[in-house]
Amino acid sequence: MMTQMLAAGSIGLMHYLVVAAIMFCCGVATILLKRNAIGILIGIELILNAANVNLVAFNRYPAPGAGAVDGQIFAIFVIVLAAAEAAVALAILLNFYNNFATVDVERADNLKG
Amino acid sequence: MPSPALLLLIATLLPLASFVVLLLWGKRIGNPYAGHIGTLAVAGSFVCSVLAMIFWLYAGADNSLSWGANKAPIEISFPWIPTGDALWPAGHAPAKPGYMDLSIYVDSLTVVMFVMITIVATSVHVFSIKYMHEDARFPRFFTYLGLFCFSMLGLVLGGTILQLFVFWELVGLCSYLLIGFWYEKKSASNAAIKAFIANRVGDLGFLVGFGILFYHLGNASLPALYGMLGSAGSGGDITIGSGASAVVFSSTALTLMGLGLFCGAVGKSAQFPLHVWLPDAMEGPTPVSALIHAATMVAAGVYLVGRIFPILTPEAKLVIATIGLITLTMAALIAITQSDIKKVLAYSTVSQLGYMMLAMGVGSWMGGLFHLITHAFFKALLFLGSGSVIHAAHHEQELPQYGGLAHRIPWTAGTFLVGVLAIAGLGFGPLGFSGFFSKDTILVDAAQFAQLSGGKIYWIYFIVPVIVAYITAFYMMRCWTLTFAGKPRNRHLYDHAHEDPVMFIPLVVLAILAVGGGYIGVQSMLRNSIQETRAYVSSDRQAFVGFDTAFQHRLPGEPSEMAAESVDAGLVEEEHHDAIYEKAHHLVVMYVTPAFLVGIGLAFVIYRKGYRYTDAMLRFAPLKALHTFLYRKMYIDELHNALFVGGAHVVARLCGMVDKYVVDGLVNVVAYAARVVAWISGIHDKYVIDGAVVGSGKLAWLIGGIGRGAQTGRVRGYVTLMILVFAAGLVVAMACYLA
Repeated sequence: MMTQMLAAGSIGLMHYLVVAAIMFCCGVATILLKRNAIGILIGIELILNAANVNLVAFNRYPAPGAGAVDGQIFAIFVIVLAAAEAAVALAILLNFYNNFATVDVERADNLKG
Repeated sequence: MPSPALLLLIATLLPLASFVVLLLWGKRIGNPYAGHIGTLAVAGSFVCSVLAMIFWLYAGADNSLSWGANKAPIEISFPWIPTGDALWPAGHAPAKPGYMDLSIYVDSLTVVMFVMITIVATSVHVFSIKYMHEDARFPRFFTYLGLFCFSMLGLVLGGTILQLFVFWELVGLCSYLLIGFWYEKKSASNAAIKAFIANRVGDLGFLVGFGILFYHLGNASLPALYGMLGSAGSGGDITIGSGASAVVFSSTALTLMGLGLFCGAVGKSAQFPLHVWLPDAMEGPTPVSALIHAATMVAAGVYLVGRIFPILTPEAKLVIATIGLITLTMAALIAITQSDIKKVLAYSTVSQLGYMMLAMGVGSWMGGLFHLITHAFFKALLFLGSGSVIHAAHHEQELPQYGGLAHRIPWTAGTFLVGVLAIAGLGFGPLGFSGFFSKDTILVDAAQFAQLSGGKIYWIYFIVPVIVAYITAFYMMRCWTLTFAGKPRNRHLYDHAHEDPVMFIPLVVLAILAVGGGYIGVQSMLRNSIQETRAYVSSDRQAFVGFDTAFQHRLPGEPSEMAAESVDAGLVEEEHHDAIYEKAHHLVVMYVTPAFLVGIGLAFVIYRKGYRYTDAMLRFAPLKALHTFLYRKMYIDELHNALFVGGAHVVARLCGMVDKYVVDGLVNVVAYAARVVAWISGIHDKYVIDGAVVGSGKLAWLIGGIGRGAQTGRVRGYVTLMILVFAAGLVVAMACYLA
């Protein structure tokens, strides 16, 4: 199904989804590989934006209801929440830096059981 | 005219008042005023008693001074102890139904006893003021004397056996206190304890006897007893009441009851085998010996037997006579050899008490109580005389230290001689000292008893006392001769001897009584008392025998018809009686009257030169052995020690062993078992309970250990895991979707 969709010649839903999946994978890879807390935050932003792409794409293609902008609105909410999340995360990060004089998350293992 | 009972009650309470006053303020009143108070109180008692006697005699029906035969005794009772139902004779009622009486019983015997006790007590009090004046506890002495006088008078006044017992114990207590008056002396405190214990042994019997009596009747008033059990002397069972409610008092129970009560008398009146306390009691001050251990308290036993006389069975009387016989013989023999003047008098007292008991046993109620009164006079005289001697000799009591004292203390010597003659029974025909009459009464009755009882063996109750009468005269005169006659054996003691008027005035008073005691109407009073007691016996129980003549016409084992016959045919018997009396009297005049001459003469001859002749006699070995045997009091103390003290020791040791090995062993075994159980419980606690607690902790630790491995604390680890799980879930979902 996927190949049919890609092979259609024109840019369709599948293309967006692939882009979003690549973005998602990039985000996850960033989280997993970066030891810098800032990098991890960037990775999270990537994952969130991958989701936003999906939301907007799904609003444009499979659902025929013209004029409806549910997906876009949902994406805007996500952006707002991402901003809030970034603020909280940066506050935690600053405290972490104050305590450990580093932003290396490998050092943040105080929750070890 | 005040009632004699009221006067006697006052006479009883006066010494109690003096006791209370001296107890509270005695020390402050001090020496000699405490003595004066005590003496005044008891002198007041004496005056009351004499007045009571006058009023008693004057209370004839026609208001004339008569010897008052057939007067009814005064009986005043109050409800005392609730006891429930009790038996009462017809015509007699308790003060309140269901209650035991507390009563005053006054008959001629009571009155006579009161006068005797108070006159002796007054003499002793007067004597003691001088005798005890150097003593540090002078007021205490008169305190005790007051308590004693109260108790003794209460004993005589009481109308129930229980009251008798209460006062009986009180006089015993006073005796204990006064024997141990000089308790710093070990021998005195030992003697006091010995007296107390010997009396306790007797009192146990008293309680048993009282228990039997009370069990049957539920009532212990003297008149009620006379009324219900008056026919005990005939020896049969007694049935009280009729029909279904009748109570049978078997003759065996009656005998046991009598013997039980007599046991108390054995203790109190120092009869064999409980006589051992009386000689030791001489450790007390001499006035105490005179009052308590010669004249009054020791006679209480005889008084008790006199009071219960009508309810004694022939068997009980025979035992009483036998005990009296043994006592009088044994004590007289021991008295011959004693060297302590008070010990001689003590054994003489025991011997005379034996005479009284013998009299009671052979049925000579008159003789026994008459001798009690006369003996009180002359023995108090002798003891106070010995007190005067001891005082003169600066508390030297040994006869070998005396001799020739008649020149230094003539009043004492004279009055003492009067006492000796009285106890020896000086007299002939109608003239004689008091002891002559009373002893002859006893012996005449004993001879009648021997004749009437039939068997030859019963003559022993006459012959032995007659022989002892000789011995009595001998040992008493020995005592006098060694003390007052001959040459002084201790010159220093002799030179310092002196006497005091305060001390010899009571001696003179008592000497007059010892001489005239046989004439002053004691006998007639006692005869009245018999009449009065008889009045309680209802007409169908007239077999109320053996009061003034002899035992009974029957002895244990013989049928009792004769008793009934003799009552029915009293008149027919009378001639027979006269003949018997004549024969008995003849025997006594023949063999007893010379006793004092022989005894006194022999003693005077032998001891006139001190111990010269007797020392020669003691070189003869068998005599020496006999002397030692008697001097050591027939080894009865040693026998008691071996039997009772030794026995008690053995029992104590056995009890100790049982305690040590059985009781302690049991306790130890239980303790050991507890230790074992505790050990097991400890093991259980340590391994089971603690194991469960620790085990659950360890289990939690183990599970936690497993769980904590995942918690690395590294964010990327968590994310990796999350993604892996998510990816796995996706793969599974895809697989499911495609399949």
